[in-house]
Amino acid sequence: TFLLREILNNSYQLSSVPLQILFHVNGIYYTFYFLATLAMIVYKSEVFSYPDDFLAPDLALLFIMAILEALRLYWGSKGNLTEEEAPLGLSLAMTLGSVILSVYFLVWQTYVLKADVILNAVLLFTYGLESVLKVIAIAAFVS
Amino acid sequence: ESVREHAAVCKVLISISPAVAKLCVCDLLVAQCDVNCCCDPDCSAADFSLFTTCSVPIVTGDSRLCSQKAALYSLDVEANPPERIFKLIDQVNPSVFCIHAINYEKALSFSSPEMPTSENFDQLLKQFGSAAFSAEPGSWNKDIDNQNASDANETYRYEYGAPIQTVDAFLRLPSPVVSSWCSDANPAGFLVNQATKCTRSVSVEKCSNMQAVSMLFYINSSILAVNITVQSIVVQSLNGMQTLLNGSDVLRLPMILDELCINIVLGVSYHITYTDAGEIIEAAASFVLGAINKEALSIQQSFKISFTQVNTEPVPLSGNPGYVVGLPIRAGFRPQGYPFPVEILFAAFFLSTNKYGQLTILQSTSSQDCLAAQEARTPILFGYNMISGCKLRITAAMKCQPLTQTLLDLLKGQSFPEYVASFGNSQAQDVLDWVPITHRHISEQRIYNAFQSSCQIPVSLEIEVKWTKYGSLVNPQARIVSVTAVITTTAWKQLPSGRERTIPITSSVVFTDISSPAEPGYKAWPTINAKLPFDFFYPFV
Repeated sequence: TFLLREILNNSYQLSSVPLQILFHVNGIYYTFYFLATLAMIVYKSEVFSYPDDFLAPDLALLFIMAILEALRLYWGSKGNLTEEEAPLGLSLAMTLGSVILSVYFLVWQTYVLKADVILNAVLLFTYGLESVLKVIAIAAFVS
Repeated sequence: ESVREHAAVCKVLISISPAVAKLCVCDLLVAQCDVNCCCDPDCSAADFSLFTTCSVPIVTGDSRLCSQKAALYSLDVEANPPERIFKLIDQVNPSVFCIHAINYEKALSFSSPEMPTSENFDQLLKQFGSAAFSAEPGSWNKDIDNQNASDANETYRYEYGAPIQTVDAFLRLPSPVVSSWCSDANPAGFLVNQATKCTRSVSVEKCSNMQAVSMLFYINSSILAVNITVQSIVVQSLNGMQTLLNGSDVLRLPMILDELCINIVLGVSYHITYTDAGEIIEAAASFVLGAINKEALSIQQSFKISFTQVNTEPVPLSGNPGYVVGLPIRAGFRPQGYPFPVEILFAAFFLSTNKYGQLTILQSTSSQDCLAAQEARTPILFGYNMISGCKLRITAAMKCQPLTQTLLDLLKGQSFPEYVASFGNSQAQDVLDWVPITHRHISEQRIYNAFQSSCQIPVSLEIEVKWTKYGSLVNPQARIVSVTAVITTTAWKQLPSGRERTIPITSSVVFTDISSPAEPGYKAWPTINAKLPFDFFYPFV
C-alpha cells in the first residue's frame, strides 16, 4: 500500500501492479487447477461408484467455472490496465460466482478428496486476495 | 479392576462410534463364546484368559477415507491371567487422494432395499416380480402379458417328462428305490418309456387284502378323462408256463384256492396313446397274473409303460439319426413289385413276437445241439460283435441236401432280411436310406479232390457290418455303409454206416469302423464384394 500511495500521490499510474501480478499467477494456477480437477474426476469415476446423474453436474460446473474464470481474468486485467472501474467491477461480481463454484468443489462435490480440499483452499485464498486488491483499485480509479 | 475400567471406557467409546466397535465377523455362535474371537460380546474375562490369539485383530471401516475409526483387539499374554485389550483409535490414510467427504450416501455401502408398503407395492412387483430385474420397471410388462395368454391355452398339454395326472394323484409305476423293494410313489412321466422290476413281500394269508397285487389297484385310477382298459391277461402257472386268456375284460381279483393264492399281479404293461397336441386319448394295460404258494415270501413284479402316437405304428428307433450302441439293427424286406422296403408292415406284427423280422443270429444254448435248438435267436445289436455256435452231429443216415437246407435255416433264421437301415431312424419310404445285404459264398475246400461230391454244407455264417462316422466332428453319428453275409461251406463226406461226426457250426457278427479320419472344415474367408453401381458412369455410358 505504501507503493500504491506513492503512485496515487504521484498520480501518473493508477493501475495496480500487484493485482496484475496476481491475475497472471491466477491464470497459471487456474489452468493447473482445471486440469487437476478434471483428472481427479476421471479417477473418481473409475475407482468409485460415480453414477451419471452425479457426474454430469460436477463436470458441467467445472466447465462453467473455467469459462467464468477466463472472462473474469480478461475483464479484470482489462479494467486494471485501462484504469476503468466498470470492467473491474464486473470482474469483482464474477469473482463472487467463482467463489461459490469453488466452495461447491470444496464442500458439495460428490467425492471430496484431500487434494480437492488443498486445491480449492488455495484458489479461495487467491480469490480473497484478488478481491481485496480489486476493491482498492476501484477505489483508486473512482476517486 | 483394570478390566472394569476398560469396560467403562469401552461403553463410552461404543456409544460414540457405534459401527466399528459393534462389528464382529468371528461371532458366529449365538449367545455363546466363539473361540479366539476377541470381539465377541458373549465372552467373559474368564473366556478371554483361555484364548491363544485374536483371530480378528482389527475392525475398520473403508480404508480409503482420510480418517476413520478402527477397533483394535489384542491379547495381553504377559498378564496373569491373559486379558483382552480393546482400543478404539483413529486410523489416518496418508495418501493425498483419500476421501475427505462424500455427498453420495450409496457410495461406500450397500443400500438396503425398500420396505414394501401399500403405496410402492405395485411398482416393486413390476420391477422385481419377474425372472430378471430390469432397471426400467415398465419394460417387462409386455412380455409377462404375452406369456400369460399363451399359457392359458396350453394348460391341458403334456410336456415330456411331466407326470401323468389321474383323478386323485399321478399314474404310478412302482419301482425300486434304494433297495429292491417296490415303492409306489414313482410317477410315470409323459413320453418316458420305462421298464422297472421290483420286489414285493407277499403272504398267502393276506393276499386278498393286499392292494398292490390286485388288478384293481392298477386300473382303478383313470387318467383324467380316459379310463384304463385291460388289453390282455396272461396267466402264469407256478412252473413258469404262460397262457394268454381269451376274454380279457373280466377283472380277476386275488383269491385263495387250494392253499395257493391266484390272480396275483406279476407284471403290468401300460400302453398310452397320445396325440401330437400332447393329450392322452387312450390307455390300456396288459397284465401277467400268477399264483403263489405258502412258502413264497416275496414276488418280483415288473412294470412297463410305453407311449405311442395315435395313427402311427410303434417302431422303436435304434438311434436318432445314427445308431446307438446296444440297440438292435433295423432290417426289412422289399417285396416284389414294391419300391419300398416294408419293414413297417412287419414291425407291428413282429414286435409282439420274437423279433423275427430283424437281423438275428443263432443263439448258443446249453444243449449245444444244432438240431435241437432251432428257435433260439438273438437280435444283432449295433456295435456288439457276437459269436455263437452249436455242434452238429452227422450220422450216416443223414442226406446232404436236406441237411444243407436245415443248416441254412439255422444259420440265417426263418426270414433273413434283405435290407438294413443305414441310420437308426431310417423311414421305410426312403429307399436310399436302406443298404442291401450282399451275400458271399466261400468254400472251405483246400485240396481239390476230383472225387469229392459237389454237395457243400454251410458251416459258418459271418455277418460283416461296415459302419462309418457321419456328420459333425463333435457329434458323429454311426451310419451303416455295407452289410455282407459270408457263408462258408465245406465238402460233404458221406459217412460209412455206424460212424458219426461232430462238426462245429458258428455264426458271428463283426462291426468294423471304416470311417475316414475327420477333417475339420473351416468357413471360407469372407470376400469383399465391392462393385460400382451399374449407373456409376451415367452420362458417359
